[in-house]
Amino acid sequence: MRLPPPRVLVIALGNPDRGDDGVGLVVAQCLRELLPSDVQIISASGDALSLIPTWADFDAIICIDAAAPANAPGRIHRFDLTAAGLPSKLAVASSHALGLAEAIALARALQEAPRQIIVYAVEGACFAAGAPITADVTAAAVDVARRVAADVDWLRQEQATVNV
Amino acid sequence: MPTETTAPPEKRTIRVDNLARVEGEGALDLTISGGRVIAAHLNIFEPARLFEAFLRGRGYMETPDIVARICGICPIAYQMSAVHAIENAFGVTVGGQLRALRRLIYCGEWIESHALHVVMLHAPDFLGYPDAIAMARDHGDRVREGLALKKTGNEILRCLGGREIHPVNVRPGGFYRIPQRAELAPIAESLKAARDRAIALVRWVADFPFPDFERDYEFVALRHPHEYPFNEGRIVSNRGIDIDIAQYESEFEERQVAHSTALHSLIKRRGAYLCGPLARYALNFDRLPAVARELAAEAGLGPACKNPFRSIVVRAIEIVFACEEALRIIAAYEPPDASAAPIEPRARIGFGSTEAPRGMCWHRYAFAADGTIKAARIVPPTAQNQPSIEADLMAVTIPLVAESDEFIRSRCEQSIRNHDPCISCSTHFLNLSVHRI
Repeated sequence: MRLPPPRVLVIALGNPDRGDDGVGLVVAQCLRELLPSDVQIISASGDALSLIPTWADFDAIICIDAAAPANAPGRIHRFDLTAAGLPSKLAVASSHALGLAEAIALARALQEAPRQIIVYAVEGACFAAGAPITADVTAAAVDVARRVAADVDWLRQEQATVNV
Repeated sequence: MPTETTAPPEKRTIRVDNLARVEGEGALDLTISGGRVIAAHLNIFEPARLFEAFLRGRGYMETPDIVARICGICPIAYQMSAVHAIENAFGVTVGGQLRALRRLIYCGEWIESHALHVVMLHAPDFLGYPDAIAMARDHGDRVREGLALKKTGNEILRCLGGREIHPVNVRPGGFYRIPQRAELAPIAESLKAARDRAIALVRWVADFPFPDFERDYEFVALRHPHEYPFNEGRIVSNRGIDIDIAQYESEFEERQVAHSTALHSLIKRRGAYLCGPLARYALNFDRLPAVARELAAEAGLGPACKNPFRSIVVRAIEIVFACEEALRIIAAYEPPDASAAPIEPRARIGFGSTEAPRGMCWHRYAFAADGTIKAARIVPPTAQNQPSIEADLMAVTIPLVAESDEFIRSRCEQSIRNHDPCISCSTHFLNLSVHRI
């Protein structure tokens, strides 16, 4: 019996009007040409809780977001959360909403989290209103897109193995 | 993380260094001496936000998008208070369907904010869980329903505001873009399910174990001749205040206190007061739709509720109201010819006051002839409620002095969350004195 391909969701988080915060959306743009058509790509502006009902329909998710500057604009961080949560130092900085780390923990408590979760965070340099994405981060976006495409390949093979 | 201070039995200091499940960063200090509670301080140490200062020199058309940044949970409250103040200054009245759409977007904010607070932030207190994630393991369906309710509120914000956090579609005079009827149809379907969820939520929270506790608050809220208040009304209290919003500064004052970067608001000559769901409900019970009043009776509430722990029930009732009101507005909606009323700036002062989910939000702006802001004053709900929250903490603790520090600490944190404080919004002021010698 031939099983359907595993369902993979790519989530680009960010605000296109705030400089490097929009890096996830640039990655999503690149991925539309790199990923198979049955891999869904969505963008979200910040309310991680609202994503939980969507996650329940997928076997794996890959989130792409900007990270706070840490002296290396464009540096790419990759977290495989299949067996863990986000490092506590990366918990949400927002004082007004539950962030991605809490949303993942909540989805897991509800047993609605995809089995595999990967998070990419790209260190930004400029988050000013209306600013363009900086050159270092633009270059990183292309690299992240390539790595996400490789992850999707790997996830689909991995999931196929699991499904069999 | 809580910390304990070892002290002689006659003097105990109970401290919570970082309050969890509130919007923003605050702390609590409670001092008990000789079996008496001698001090209860809600310490707010978020840095000053300085919004009033950097609004100076900005244009009136920029204002709604700037003030939306004060809060990620209640941006509509700030946008609506600002546009009403701008229109008040420039002599513009927004009516008809544009006014209805403003009420509709406010419904969305109340639904998403109240659902978040009731289910994710406040319910764990009553059921004995440290947070919603732990609660979700045993009450998964309730959490899912709460998330679904919040999602309905978000849908309204996304449709009318352009996005769910910091919406960008509100402008003086109306909106940049107005929806067609077909865009609201799926939201109406979502709202019908949300109304049922909200009714079930009222019944769930009404059965929580509530401490036997009441306080004789002076409630302050907007009151409108016909409507449960969102955007318009006079400022009224249960002790005789009944003023136009322009007279706010004649009845209320703000004071700085050493332990808070947020100002404390007080009624002149009388002191603390309470705004928010308990105040709105008590002062506008007769403006609620029948279904909400009947649910309140079923939940054991009279036309006023002075037990702050039961505010969770009142919030759930307000979600039912917001769903009902949103459905009524959508059913009657016909797209207006223009998305905004024409507006011309002039050198005036304008006032706006609306009901944020957590209480009254008051704005005053002085404009130059070209519409540039010369001065701004923004009074958020949490600043108004701080003195009452501290009075609650004193009153809640007095009968508990023989209990363990952990029990007292837990009850105090719950008491603060009764009022859904938005600490980030309230830290908006820095008093700068220049001495020239």
